[in-house]
Amino acid sequence: MSGFGGFLLRRAVGTVVTLLAISVIVYVVFYVTPGNVAQITCGPRCSPEQVHQVAQQLKLGDPLYLRYWHFLEGLFVGQDFSTGTSVAHCAAPCLGQSYQTDQPVLDIILTKLPVSLSLVLGAMVVWLVLGVGTGVLSAWRRGRISERVLTAVTLAGTATPVFVIGLVLMIVVCGELRLLPFPEYVNLTDDPEQWAWNLLLPWLSLALIEAAAFARLTRASMLETLAEDHIRTFRAYGVGERAIVARHALRGALAPVIALNANNVGSAVGGAVLTETLFGLPGIGQELVHAVKVVDLPVVVGMVLVVGFFVVLANAVADVLYAVADRRVVLA
Amino acid sequence: MSEALVAVEAAGAGTSAPAAPGARQFWRRLRAQRAALVAAAVVALLVLVALAAPLLTALEGQDPTTYHPSLIDSARGGVPIGSFGGFSADHWLGVEPQTGRDMFARLVYGAQVSLGVALAATVVQVALGVAVGVASALGNRWVDQLLSRATDIIVAMPLMIMSLALLAIVPSSFPRPVLVTLVIGLIAWGNIAKIVRAQALSLKGLDYVSAARLSGWGAWRVARRELLPGLAAPVITYAALLVPTNISVEAALSFLGVGVKPPTPSWGQMLTDADVWYQAAPQYLLLPAGALFVTVLALTVLGDGVRTALDPRAASRLRVGTGRKDAGARDFGAKGSSAKGSGAEGSGPTTKEASA
Amino acid sequence: MRQPSVIARRVAAASVSLVVAAGAAACGPKDSGAKASGGDSTPHKGGTLTVLNAEPQTDFDPARLYTSGGGNVPSLVFRTLTTRNRANGAAGSKVVPDLATDTGRPSKDATVWTYTLKTGLKYEDGTPITSADIKYGIERSFAPELSGGAPYLRDWLVGAADYQGPYKDKKGLSAIETPDARTLVFHLNKPEGEFPFLATQTQFTPVPKSKDTGTKYEEHPVSSGPYKVVKNENDGEHVLLERNTYWSTAVDDQRKAYPDTIDVRSGLDSSVINQRLSASQGADAAAVTTDTNLGPAELAKVSGDKDLAARVGTGHFGYTNYIAFNPTVKPFDNPKVRQAIAYAIDRSSVVNAAGGSALAEPATTFLPNQKSFGYTPYDPFPAGASGNPAKAKELLAQAGYKNGLTITLTHSNAKDFETSPEIATAVQDALKKAGITVKLQGLELNDYKDKIHSVKTEPGFFLAHWGADWPSGGPFLAPIFDGRQIVKDGANFNTGLLNDKSVNDEIDAINKLTDLDAAATRWGALDKKIGEQALVVPLFHPVYKRLYGKDVKNIVISDWTGVLDISQAAVK
Repeated sequence: MSGFGGFLLRRAVGTVVTLLAISVIVYVVFYVTPGNVAQITCGPRCSPEQVHQVAQQLKLGDPLYLRYWHFLEGLFVGQDFSTGTSVAHCAAPCLGQSYQTDQPVLDIILTKLPVSLSLVLGAMVVWLVLGVGTGVLSAWRRGRISERVLTAVTLAGTATPVFVIGLVLMIVVCGELRLLPFPEYVNLTDDPEQWAWNLLLPWLSLALIEAAAFARLTRASMLETLAEDHIRTFRAYGVGERAIVARHALRGALAPVIALNANNVGSAVGGAVLTETLFGLPGIGQELVHAVKVVDLPVVVGMVLVVGFFVVLANAVADVLYAVADRRVVLA
Repeated sequence: MSEALVAVEAAGAGTSAPAAPGARQFWRRLRAQRAALVAAAVVALLVLVALAAPLLTALEGQDPTTYHPSLIDSARGGVPIGSFGGFSADHWLGVEPQTGRDMFARLVYGAQVSLGVALAATVVQVALGVAVGVASALGNRWVDQLLSRATDIIVAMPLMIMSLALLAIVPSSFPRPVLVTLVIGLIAWGNIAKIVRAQALSLKGLDYVSAARLSGWGAWRVARRELLPGLAAPVITYAALLVPTNISVEAALSFLGVGVKPPTPSWGQMLTDADVWYQAAPQYLLLPAGALFVTVLALTVLGDGVRTALDPRAASRLRVGTGRKDAGARDFGAKGSSAKGSGAEGSGPTTKEASA
Repeated sequence: MRQPSVIARRVAAASVSLVVAAGAAACGPKDSGAKASGGDSTPHKGGTLTVLNAEPQTDFDPARLYTSGGGNVPSLVFRTLTTRNRANGAAGSKVVPDLATDTGRPSKDATVWTYTLKTGLKYEDGTPITSADIKYGIERSFAPELSGGAPYLRDWLVGAADYQGPYKDKKGLSAIETPDARTLVFHLNKPEGEFPFLATQTQFTPVPKSKDTGTKYEEHPVSSGPYKVVKNENDGEHVLLERNTYWSTAVDDQRKAYPDTIDVRSGLDSSVINQRLSASQGADAAAVTTDTNLGPAELAKVSGDKDLAARVGTGHFGYTNYIAFNPTVKPFDNPKVRQAIAYAIDRSSVVNAAGGSALAEPATTFLPNQKSFGYTPYDPFPAGASGNPAKAKELLAQAGYKNGLTITLTHSNAKDFETSPEIATAVQDALKKAGITVKLQGLELNDYKDKIHSVKTEPGFFLAHWGADWPSGGPFLAPIFDGRQIVKDGANFNTGLLNDKSVNDEIDAINKLTDLDAAATRWGALDKKIGEQALVVPLFHPVYKRLYGKDVKNIVISDWTGVLDISQAAVK
């Protein structure tokens, strides 16, 4: 399996290079973003002297390259921060400390990550079930009214922004019908049942956006597979249509679905930003939006890196799964 | 990055067609699809409405920015007076809560911005994606490495977050719709670049392209004369799907507070303002939501139609499907195996290996 | 200036709690049904009061908080020398003693203020509260690590301008003397009759030096109030408060502290908060919000529902939204142009854009329309309810702009219904009738703040707002109109760049008064005098409308804060 080992190594190096490049871009972009960080941290009525003191405290006076160097240093060696009364050490890999809250960025990420993972992974299950299910049905019922209705419903999901779907779902399901709680994040480990009930609406809102793409893909792949020679052979042998669809055509659709799924992790992160903001879920996305607004550079860089890492990871996993699912593919 | 993604597009979009059909053949196939024709008509109508917005609002006698304080109930948060949000002969679709601005005028002017931004952003994405993809496929190893890495970076960056930052950096004197277009266009071209690169690589391996290269044609000429026609099918197909995505992204940017700025109306911005009015003034939400839905539906169906018309295999399936609907699933196998070549599904990974 | 998130609709703030107690979900399938409501309206002890907020309680450290009157949630944990009177309406804008026995004894010229602590004051751990702890609490608010508070201490205390806090400067502030464990003496560098108001801010909270952990203190600040912090997750996203057994009403006649537990959950979308409060199910029946107004859309719905309308608290916070001019920028150097704009403004459409007549009151004075500010009604450029474009055109013609004028209005892109695009387009629409073409320049919030608060980049014509640090004319007028407060190299709030000796002198004269009623009258007169210069065009004063859960009792809303005081609320 030297080929596979080499593949993994190339991927790992590529990932690190990609992530470092992303961190440079984020540093530069946020360096020129308007917003006086020291003034924001200090408060609107701080005097110039105080703002200057805070800037020194946060080492904001340093030139861009030096600040980036400190960031790298923290990442590989660790960093020390003063609390005023004592010194706190942030061990490598240290992503720095929030300008606004003085919390270590890694701690913030670790508390927010379970929320975002719960949201995205759960929604993934929903969109796969919904998307693939719809795709199978519409391939099977091709040309009939039911297919058209299904297509329109999934497209309605794509066409409506997640914040509209989410709010309307919330008002109707929680406010009017009172079928579900107003979502509030519950730790999976504390109460799995409440975790699921509370996340159901966020999952649905996020999944409806993505499901249509899967429905379309599944439908296309199935039609393609159903047109292949071996299926004809099965048919000739009198294998039932239901069995053909379930056992053979669906398998053919598997590989591209896996691949699309990985690709969608990126866009799902965008959707998660909106979903978390709307539902008040304390995840990475919501924190990122907040950090961008207060120009909290260490938090922004740290979180963008984490998100980027998951996107890269998802794509790598997809390539491996894809190769497994479709043996014709050679890993490059 | 994701070779798998490329394969998806290959599977979903039928990218392995060796060359695009001739224009006449394309139109013939497109015309054969009733749904696509209806969709094309709807899209044309939407574009027409957007272009004729000043005319239509003049016909109604309204404009999208004038306040009508007498048409709203100030004590109740500015909810429109009258049924259905104040539908009347003067205000065909009622008025906006809080301001009393004419909904019809805002909706048709909003179409200008939403469709304009989405289409223009798609053009930027396609142009960048094709340029990077082709350059990557035709360039030497280093160019390919560099461009592929750049593509990876673009794909891994969270679009929303970078937009938030970028839209804050650019001076506000810069026209906002153009800026939103550029931001969407400049950040989300990664996937199309990957698809183009893979497709170009597979085309490069084909005899007639190789022949052209060996006979001493320059890279530019090869790209223009031999590659681009072959890329048309997957690119057009993918682009058709990008337009609705871009409309949604424009709406999402408005939601996060960095989209098109008032008083310029856009559907996304209207949706963002309207969602809380869902209970008190439902039509305020339903009108832009409905407009968006119709647009996305029409564009998607049209995109499917274009794809089918460009892809001979799909076209043959189509004939079967439309000809004998009642026959249902049994007709799946009637046609279609002929086009299945070695490069059909896994075109990305295999060809990359071959070219390395 | 405190900038409360008033109607912040989509404040993409940080977030909500991670751990939710089992069964806390509002209306889940597990919901056991709503509790019986109504009946007994007398408040009783016990129960849990839930606070649903948009903004988290970040920096829960008395040194870092910027509050008016000690804040709402912070005031449950942090007691201060003085505090706001916990009473409805105008009575609530009075300052009363808290830890101290009185509101302070001034020297003759109001430059020395002496306070004596009550006896029997204790922290949550039972140790006594001393005057030295209050001094230390003030000193640490000067540390750059703990920045965030109001500027007054630095401006007023003798020798405080360069002080960097106790971590870097062990000598401490000589301006505060503690002759014994119960006495504090403050030495000011100028007369300040409103010092008792300042002493309501959380910087006047005792902090025991031995328990100070610097930037980490916010995780568990030592309580001097009725509740102590038992949980503070993710920098104030979820704060859980429980009774401090060393506190009692015997040593605190202001806070009632009926509930046993206060559960503060934040990071919620404002529309979600209002949906939850109107549904009022499960734990939400005993819920309030301290930072989220009803928006216009929600008001439209609530006003049609008797049950909901009965659960809306209405309040007024001293706050003014206005148009500001920079008279060094043409054509706003010409008073006639500024006056023309003042005449042309359509306050009814601005009020509608701000949420309608229930959420905003048209303003013609810069001072808020409350007695404690010394409100004196005046209208130097009467525009009527919807503007006087004819008069505006006439003034423009006199100013040499017969054929109209094109100007740029700078505003923020925040969705706050204050300096936001909605208000800007309403102004744009109104000025159109007077022949003034307004171009809009919408800036991202940070950019907007940087630009309008810098003398170098200040635009000529922009939307602004100002809120009260305490209910008096001093902190409302001085930062905006005192010529000596123009800051050339930092955040400047005197955006009209007014440096008028007669105004400066009057401010000094009023600051000497310790009779706050007499001072109020003179602030009102000064406001009128400044208003005639048309450096600002007042637009509206916001009205706070907030829902509360159906089990919440003893609603007290003072004019000081304008919102339901959670130290008075009961849920049993």
